Amino acid sequence: MNLISGIDVTAGALNAQKVRLDIVAQNIANAETTRTPEGGPYQRQVVSFETELVKQLPGEAGQTALQTVKVGGISSDTTPGQQVYNPQHPDAGPDGMVTMPNVNLAFEMVDLITASRAYEANLSVVKNARQMAEKALEIGK
Amino acid sequence: MTPIGTINPLSASPLTRLEPSMSPSEISSPGLLGGAASTTSTTAPTDSFGAMLDGLVGGVAAKQSAAAAQTNAVLMGDTGQLHQSVIAMQESQVAFSLMVEVRNKLVESYQELMRMQV
Repeated sequence: MNLISGIDVTAGALNAQKVRLDIVAQNIANAETTRTPEGGPYQRQVVSFETELVKQLPGEAGQTALQTVKVGGISSDTTPGQQVYNPQHPDAGPDGMVTMPNVNLAFEMVDLITASRAYEANLSVVKNARQMAEKALEIGK
Repeated sequence: MTPIGTINPLSASPLTRLEPSMSPSEISSPGLLGGAASTTSTTAPTDSFGAMLDGLVGGVAAKQSAAAAQTNAVLMGDTGQLHQSVIAMQESQVAFSLMVEVRNKLVESYQELMRMQV
């Protein structure tokens, strides 16, 4: 019984945007991190999305297959971080230079806004799909 | 949910339960209902209307328990998927409204029959 059509697609998209938001939060939180378990400064993480076929119920074979989205992978941005002269820093090299993470706060804020707007857009889809189902139930009232 | 339109309510089991002295074969016999019964017998549904209603109520209950389980998981901190739980709640709400709507139609048609002049 799938009363609200396309809701699985939107749920996948909401999930993907939430993961993206989490990764942005992680990048902003680690904007000054110069030590990681792998050694070296923190590297900015980037989320990539990929499509995924929604599982079809046998009764709905006539419908076209819908594609939802899922997080394809989280990869590291390998651009080198900025070198800052700070001899007092514990992670400073012999020449007094510290390699900072390659996190650019302006980029992260843009990503944050894009992710939250995309989340909102998907929530509107949920809201409208629900309203359509409720309007259909009002037929004959 | 399309079978609602195709099922003749007169051949449905809820009415036989209301009138136990009458067997379903008597109700659907051509002598009682004329041509209407003969058309329904050719397109007789495999499940009775009552079984379909049972399935509907079961589906609504399953949706509600799924929504409760997801909300519980969010509240207990097992998952951060708040939207999934809210969507499940919305889905169960729509399913419940559909069930109420079907019940209203059923009661309405029963009352319509009771108002019939004999």
